[in-house]
Amino acid sequence: MSRILGAPGRAWLRWVDRIGRRESGEALALFRIGSGAAVVASVLSVVMAGLVRPIWIDAAHGGILPLTGGWLVQALGGATPSVVWGLVVVTLLAGVTLTLGIAGRVSALVAAQGMLALTSLDTDTRCSYDPLLVNSLWLLVLADSTATLSVQCRRRHGRWMDARLVAAWPRYLIIVQLVVLYTATGLHKISLSWTPGGGFSALYYILQQPSWQHGDMTWLAHVYPVTQVGTAVTWIWELTWPLVLLALYVRSTAERGGRARRWFDRLRLRTVYAVIGLGIHLTIPLVMVVGPFSLVTLAYYPCLFRAEELRAMGRGCARRWPWRRGGG
Amino acid sequence: MRAVLVAAHLLAVIVLAIPDAGGVALRRDAWANPTVQAELEGWAERLTSWGMPIETPELEQRVYEIAQSWTQALHTLRTPLRPYRDVFGVRQTWRMFVAPHRHPGRLHIDIERDGQWRAIQIARSDQHDWRAPQLDHVRMRAMLFRYGWKRYRRRYDALTRWIATKAAQDFPEASRVRVRLFVYQTPSPSQVREGWEPEGRFSQVVTHRLEDFR
Repeated sequence: MSRILGAPGRAWLRWVDRIGRRESGEALALFRIGSGAAVVASVLSVVMAGLVRPIWIDAAHGGILPLTGGWLVQALGGATPSVVWGLVVVTLLAGVTLTLGIAGRVSALVAAQGMLALTSLDTDTRCSYDPLLVNSLWLLVLADSTATLSVQCRRRHGRWMDARLVAAWPRYLIIVQLVVLYTATGLHKISLSWTPGGGFSALYYILQQPSWQHGDMTWLAHVYPVTQVGTAVTWIWELTWPLVLLALYVRSTAERGGRARRWFDRLRLRTVYAVIGLGIHLTIPLVMVVGPFSLVTLAYYPCLFRAEELRAMGRGCARRWPWRRGGG
Repeated sequence: MRAVLVAAHLLAVIVLAIPDAGGVALRRDAWANPTVQAELEGWAERLTSWGMPIETPELEQRVYEIAQSWTQALHTLRTPLRPYRDVFGVRQTWRMFVAPHRHPGRLHIDIERDGQWRAIQIARSDQHDWRAPQLDHVRMRAMLFRYGWKRYRRRYDALTRWIATKAAQDFPEASRVRVRLFVYQTPSPSQVREGWEPEGRFSQVVTHRLEDFR
């Protein structure tokens, strides 16, 4: 049979087999919780700052700019206060229900269309986390993310966690989205200052821009080499994220054996890249104001691991938890 | 069928994510910005030192032509994907911190009272923090970052009118409001260590009579 199909045919059969795999849903549930929380944080911060009218409502009703909006806003009657506030409330509610795990796919679809409609109103105020968050929400429409760690699970089974199997392919798409995000942003960094030719000075100068800093950052001049290391690590780490895909492939085909495969697997690149990413995304909010960018991105990270790996990490953290040691 | 759809999604995401020179990057007037010019000069020097001698204007012309053709080719390639991208929000523009802006603009807002100008808002200042929850919000930062570029001048003017409306409410005794950007070159590490103060100039200065906004 395999001889008749040829190499492309065999590759396609392997692909179909992979797409048909099932696994328990912890990673997707954590992705759902993080993404839902990011929707709430993103919309609520605009409400709390009193910015709904200035940036999302048409100039005729007190906004800064004349706004037409996307197809949804136009279909609803334009960027008027009632339409925009309606979208804000519905999107917020969808963010809450998504986080809690109620009507997962519907909540994700409503939140995605709400975020898309709101952030397409004034594109000058759009941030990079907006398209990433809408991508997350679309992936959650495709995924069964409420099988565990959800109100839906609690209602069905009387407990918060359940081992019901869900399709694994949405998790694969989430991993590819993360790899695409980092690799593409790395490829965009064509400034000399990101490279050795520019002395790896990019991070230092970016942190001097008033647009993104918390306050005065000139003190970085006294620890300039640290920023150079940060620049080099960030640039190389972003550009080389496809290696994580390779690492995952090598691990999933470990049964084929081979010295190179075993050596590559021992590098544990996936863990190394995740730890660096965690460090970068936890540092960003300390030195920059970029909204919930880190939350949106870190929501992807659990999907780098299978459910049993996540459970092992959870057990490891629980063992090291200070209150457990104190309590004996 | 599912395997086909998943493969199609992956293909769409990858094609949409290929870097291009869309938006402001393909506007020739934006290339006159000192930050962009400094980048081109840096690359021209670097290429020359690697044995590929080239002058900055020639490099600029070549890069512009390549960027145009590349972006046009990608535009054609992406045309069938556009409905999927637009309806489901599968946008893949990851142009983040491409290059440091070495000549940024810092927002300054002043009001005039009894013939004297007084600062009420200076971006990232703890002392002059009028309407900070709004003006310091990440979405307003994104807006102000863009409005430092000349092509956004009309929208910047709209922003100044909104600022005037709010200043007229908050400062009933003030007669005028002035909105401007302090444009300066960010100091190098050695300049900071030597105590050098950045010199700059005020740009995009707009003044409104508050009477017109009450």
